[in-house]
Amino acid sequence: MRARSLGCSPDVVAHLDGLASRTHNALYAPRPYRLDAAWHLLSRGFPRTLRKNWRFLVVATFLFAFPFVVGIAGSLTSAEFARGVLPTSMLEQMAENYAEGFESGRGGGQDSAMAGFYVYNNVGIAFRCFATGILFGAGSVFFLVYNGLIIGTVFGYVMTQGGGTNILTFTSGHAPFELTAIVISGAAGMQMGYALVDTGGRTRLGSLRSQSKELVDLVVGTAVMLVIAAAIEGFWSPSSVSPEVKWAFAGCSWLAVFAYFILAGRWSSDSERGRFDRRPGSERFSLPPEWTERA
Amino acid sequence: MTIATARALPHEPLDTTADVETPEHIRFRYRVAGPSKRAVAYGIDTLVRLTIAVPILMLGALGDVVGGEGFGMGVLFVFLFALEWGYFVVLETLMGGQSLGKRALGLRVVKQGGFPLSFGDSVLRNLLRAADLLPGMYAIGVVVMSVDPYFRRLGDMVAGTLVVSEIPSKVANPLEISPPPLEKELARIPQRPPVSPAEIEAIELLLRRIGQLSHAREEELAGMIAPIIAHRMRARYRDPVRFLALVYHRATGRRS
Repeated sequence: MRARSLGCSPDVVAHLDGLASRTHNALYAPRPYRLDAAWHLLSRGFPRTLRKNWRFLVVATFLFAFPFVVGIAGSLTSAEFARGVLPTSMLEQMAENYAEGFESGRGGGQDSAMAGFYVYNNVGIAFRCFATGILFGAGSVFFLVYNGLIIGTVFGYVMTQGGGTNILTFTSGHAPFELTAIVISGAAGMQMGYALVDTGGRTRLGSLRSQSKELVDLVVGTAVMLVIAAAIEGFWSPSSVSPEVKWAFAGCSWLAVFAYFILAGRWSSDSERGRFDRRPGSERFSLPPEWTERA
Repeated sequence: MTIATARALPHEPLDTTADVETPEHIRFRYRVAGPSKRAVAYGIDTLVRLTIAVPILMLGALGDVVGGEGFGMGVLFVFLFALEWGYFVVLETLMGGQSLGKRALGLRVVKQGGFPLSFGDSVLRNLLRAADLLPGMYAIGVVVMSVDPYFRRLGDMVAGTLVVSEIPSKVANPLEISPPPLEKELARIPQRPPVSPAEIEAIELLLRRIGQLSHAREEELAGMIAPIIAHRMRARYRDPVRFLALVYHRATGRRS
């Protein structure tokens, strides 16, 4: 700055700017990453953020559940409906998949192949469901409705083809993690889109940025849930364990997931400790970003 | 950090730079990277990912043929997933805001305000690639970038990040005027010519490029500013380039 006001030549100023920015980066480096931070995010940050933004969760649940019910009802009543939603070949493939039970199980190698595929496919769906929420929430709404409808239709169609028990038993294990995670990522996407609409007196960008910490919590939490879901879907769901055990497992999972959402991190007070984004100077000692922004 | 808007003061230069003021009240300037550089960096990153993915895919296929098991496929999918969603996050977190492509082009992701990128920021800005690349070829991202004064795509806006260009700067030697100014020539230039620092900077940038430009272009560029300065100090000149060189010599001479 002084160099600039002294009228030094541009290359000197550029050189000094480079030095200053590197020093600045070294001085204000982010806190080194610790396992601790990840634990705090999962044990407190994620469920807390979720509870704080329960409204979006309710809306997202409805946006997913309603088309899901429509899908089931529609394809139960008419096969035409199912064919209108999904290509016939795909439906038949699905019906065939669930025609037989899982008494025989699958080979171990095949299990891990499928688990890998589920990670690739489902986490990708959830991430996209979140990311497209930036378009004023439209993308998240679309993906929620779309996935709800597709999944519902497949369920309904498979039921009409006589594979109903099989598909329900199969999906019961991972549904508590997978469906909730997709709904949460949709809710996070809508939260992001809503921040653009209701800015709370900030600039649109400032409003968006004020959400970013919560969004990180939600997205990372969702990713972990989806990895759990994929592991179950790959190894447990297709195993030859008897349906009774699978249903009991599913019940426990639902209970555990809800207990986690409702109870986790409710009593501990050190909510801010170990967050990913803490760094000196950026939070405690300076104004919020939207104040310092001269917009 | 100031955000240039339509209300920006008129004397702020129309430039792709971002001013940063540190808590110590030191101010410095970042040069913001434009879409073309970032596209090239992205291209390099894509190539890197392809060169990783292709052999792995072939290995996976081979493993399946040999082993007859799906284990390889499982690992493969997890790997493809990591490559698709994790590549940028991991590299940007570990390499201080740079991916391989960005490093090749001297780009770096920084937090607005000049802070280094954190893990959470990187996750957000790279997840939102899924929105930026809609409906194909990063169409939304490019449109958003081109209307933003800092070339931020949606992911950058949510995460509050900025891609800057780090030009390896060298301090050049003081400018030599050739042939050296004669006493007779200098006599016609006032001791302290009435030129502002910004004008001196502009003249210096021009003089440094003398020899790289065609002669006609040199005269044309110099002819844009020389009359204004000449009018100001009521001087006459024959060669605008020479005149500017003399003014520069006078204006900076007393400092060095």
